[in-house]
Amino acid sequence: MAGIFEDTADLDELAEALRSADAGERRVAILALADSGLPDAVPLLASAARDPDSGIRLQAAIALGSFDGAEAADALTKALTDADPAVTRAAAESLAELKDPRNADVILPFVAHPSAFVKEAALRALKELRRPEALKPALDAMRDPNAAVRIQAVGVIGFLKLEESVPALRSAASDSDATVRRAAINALAFSQAPSSSEAIARALDDAEWPVRESAAEALGRSRSGVSAKDALIARLDDEFWQVRLKAIRSLAALKVRAAAIAIAHGLTHPEPNMRKEAAAALGELKASEALAHLERAADDIDADVRKNVRWALSQLG
Amino acid sequence: MSLDKIVDGLTEVDCDVLVIGGGTAGPMAALKAKMKNPNAKVILLEKANVKRSGAISMGMDGLNNAVIPGHATPEQYTREITIANDGIVNQKAVLKYAEQCYSIIQELDKYGIRFQKNENGDFDVKKVHHLGTYVLPMPNGDTVKKALYRQLRRVQLLISNRYIATRLLQGKDGRVAGAIAVNTRTAEFLIVKAKAVILCMGAAGRLGLPASGYLFGTYENAANSGDGYAMAYHAGAKLANLECFQINPLIKDYNGPACAYVAGPFGAYTVNNEDARFIECDYWSGQMMLEFYNELQSGKGPVYLKLNHLHENTISEIESILHKVERPSRGQFHANRGTDYRGNKIEMHVSEIGFCSGHSASGVFVDEFARTTVPGLYAAGDMASVPHSYMLGAFTNGSIAGQHASDFAKDVDFAAYDPEDIARERERVLAPTRREDGIPPNQIEYKTRRFVNDYLQPPKVPQKYRLAQSRFAEVREDMETGMIARNAHELLRALEASSILDCADMAACSSLFRTESRWGLYHLRTDYPGRDDENWFCHTLLGKTDGRMICEKRAVDPYVVPIDDDEKDIYYRQRIEARA
Amino acid sequence: MPLANTPTSVPVVVDNEKCIADKGCTVCVDVCPLDVLRISDLTNKAYMAYDECWYCLPCQCDCPTAALTVNIPFLLK
Ligand SMILES: Cc1cc2nc3c(=O)[nH]c(=O)nc-3n(C[C@H](O)[C@H](O)[C@H](O)COP(=O)(O)OP(=O)(O)OC[C@H]3O[C@@H](n4cnc5c(N)ncnc54)[C@H](O)[C@@H]3O)c2cc1C
Ligand code: SF4
Ligand code: SF4
Repeated sequence: MAGIFEDTADLDELAEALRSADAGERRVAILALADSGLPDAVPLLASAARDPDSGIRLQAAIALGSFDGAEAADALTKALTDADPAVTRAAAESLAELKDPRNADVILPFVAHPSAFVKEAALRALKELRRPEALKPALDAMRDPNAAVRIQAVGVIGFLKLEESVPALRSAASDSDATVRRAAINALAFSQAPSSSEAIARALDDAEWPVRESAAEALGRSRSGVSAKDALIARLDDEFWQVRLKAIRSLAALKVRAAAIAIAHGLTHPEPNMRKEAAAALGELKASEALAHLERAADDIDADVRKNVRWALSQLG
Repeated sequence: MSLDKIVDGLTEVDCDVLVIGGGTAGPMAALKAKMKNPNAKVILLEKANVKRSGAISMGMDGLNNAVIPGHATPEQYTREITIANDGIVNQKAVLKYAEQCYSIIQELDKYGIRFQKNENGDFDVKKVHHLGTYVLPMPNGDTVKKALYRQLRRVQLLISNRYIATRLLQGKDGRVAGAIAVNTRTAEFLIVKAKAVILCMGAAGRLGLPASGYLFGTYENAANSGDGYAMAYHAGAKLANLECFQINPLIKDYNGPACAYVAGPFGAYTVNNEDARFIECDYWSGQMMLEFYNELQSGKGPVYLKLNHLHENTISEIESILHKVERPSRGQFHANRGTDYRGNKIEMHVSEIGFCSGHSASGVFVDEFARTTVPGLYAAGDMASVPHSYMLGAFTNGSIAGQHASDFAKDVDFAAYDPEDIARERERVLAPTRREDGIPPNQIEYKTRRFVNDYLQPPKVPQKYRLAQSRFAEVREDMETGMIARNAHELLRALEASSILDCADMAACSSLFRTESRWGLYHLRTDYPGRDDENWFCHTLLGKTDGRMICEKRAVDPYVVPIDDDEKDIYYRQRIEARA
Repeated sequence: MPLANTPTSVPVVVDNEKCIADKGCTVCVDVCPLDVLRISDLTNKAYMAYDECWYCLPCQCDCPTAALTVNIPFLLK
């Protein structure tokens, strides 16, 4: 039956090929090892990750991402400090592909590594593993001078959803780096503590519009978002329509009927997405006080606006 | 050695469950059949190579129809699909999908397929319209196939690549008995006896001819030539609602998706030449495609995808997703033409016609266990009749099929078949290789597909349809008596040409049968412009009876999720034209 | 009617310097869903044998040495 089914790889043969003097042959062997899916391929790939040829090491680092388990994680963490940046990038990508929570034991020590790149990669890989042991090292990493590291640290903490991490996230919400601030704001949404929505609400006045946009959006998801309703209403005249749009959406999600007339002004905004969102929100709020505004918008040039206006009118009752 | 030389050979193998097509539904079906019964012998047979085959070859931008607790309910989803499909659905199958798909998402997540999550690690489902929230982006969607393949290798599944299945073996007792396949590089035969067979051969994507005229420039993966539809037909299975064609909006000439589903949540949208949105319909449906088509035909065309009102940051983010995953050549296409999302809008068009339940509702009839009307024969994914199922439907229904088929195979023996059937099929397959001179497969295919465009493209005119039928008969005659294949690769194309012609005939037959219009552009008849619920609130089932193609009606099963008139009204109100 | 060969410009270009098909690599040939790539008997390098491309790119993305480039087929460029 040879040739009909995909063969099971012959690991001895491939191990032999990995010892070939020809780099091309070694590379081909790695590809076959990756396809084999056999757990016993991992030690062979781990040794290939130390090959003198950087192209081979790169191929091995990519291949290791197809195997889960501590041995693969170990080889990949070592490859994070390879001399060739292409190898280290591939190793970081592959490490983030691993899903077995037990890998955390191998990865955790690398959060304290002196290199920012290694730290960042380790934290990124830890995020999906959701191991409570990662909280402490991640909190420490929040003080790292490198923003890329802090972003991943916020990620690890946010995924764990522990109330005890809220103070750290709150201070990250006023980080010097805008991306860190956005991440922290989003991460705070899970928390029920009023202090969390206060921290998010403060970000509504951030100097950077993407941060304000994130804050406006996060309040809609936040369990204590209603307490920030006045700050959200104030954002309805942000200079960026992107921020206004998220504020409208969140006010509707939080059922802030008091915002209806302010939202209704959005029905005449030049950006069609704004008009559409305003109409949808008024429908969700069943805002009969906006009846006249909605009727005036019923013949909008934009079909999506018309549709949402019609729907909103049907909700007023 | 000359290229792809034809070798004479035939091997027989047997198994409990045979899965044909290793794209999306197939790998999942095979995996689940094996997990359900680890002792079962499961074979996954694929025309290409499972590593990179099928619609998701390069990955996917996201799930279009994820029913995730907290964002949508299975009942709500079932109602919306029922309405989008003008009422003609087997609700039990839709509901079953909706109930099971979340557990499949969680499983795929464990396999290492990445779905977008927010900073709290919860799935970041995007709201596209106010009816339901179903879109879940996949930022690392390019790893889908790799992750699936890994799972298959892990359970050491038997994978047979580069075999094109050509016909099913029919058991004397009416059950399925296995399948016949041909190697695409040597033309050697493989006979697989099986207790249960699952068809996962994707859409019939090479039916209409793309506007570019390039045979392989299709919307669907061009390897999906409708072989599954043809095989099911010849094996006596019924096919449902084939007249409900697949037509998709796409980037003109590139003929790939523009991905309004990706760009939509970021604020991009489709506009006419006045820069205004024009689509009144809220669902991806034939009605939506009709509005699209009408706008293209009107003075307000062309139609564009518009992103240039978005902020630079947002556009960069969209680009990084769109040009990496799914159809990465999209970026190259735009670059060639100097199109930049920041300044230019992207010209859109509608696709050629095809069959596909993934996007529409044309497929082999199946029930909520993915069973076809032939005992032991299952179907899942784009070629099975569960409507609008997309990628997650292929995974979920593939899983349902795999588990049920595994159980079925446990309790039965192989069905006996007539060995003469194999001899006859060998003759049919090899006939083009026995000729000294003749018509190459690409010309047979081109002519068939040109007629599909000339005569079958909606709006449907019955006189044109009848003309098409006689043209197809002429092409068939030429194909059966004069097609030539000089090597195994040409034979692959010859076999595909025959499936394409079968599909063209089925498209014509079922469209003529349903004497009403339904599903917007998909089945728009000029002689019966209105919808006729009194006579046509039913499925069309097409099948082979005494060697002839026959259509019949099948009642829609009673709904398990009732739809009240209010809800229908909300939907129909969306269809009212602007007052202005 | 007899057959003739019609010239066509194919979208896939392989850099023979980089291609390691002669060392046993068949990655691009393996992954192509349309099965249009082959290893040449003459050069021992990969090439596009049939002009039937879906411009989907697995061949290019999976090539271990970045030897292969897919262009958009001329007819729809
Ligand atoms: C360009 C594009 C973009 C899309 N985007 C999205 C999206 O963003 N989100 C979403 O949810 N859905 C999307 N879809 C839809 C989704 O990809 C499909 O619904 C789903 O993948 C179909 O799975 P399948 O298993 O039915 O078919 P496929 O995955 O296409 O698999 C069919 C397989 O059968 C094989 N085959 C065919 N004939 C034979 C034969 N005779 N013998 C052996 N094997 C054969 C083929 O080679 C192929 O591997 C998209 C589809 C396309 C084409
Ligand atoms: S994948 Fe690349 S290196 Fe391998 S055969 Fe193809 S072109 Fe050559
Ligand atoms: S782009 Fe796709 S179809 Fe074209 S040669 Fe590469 S893998 Fe094959």
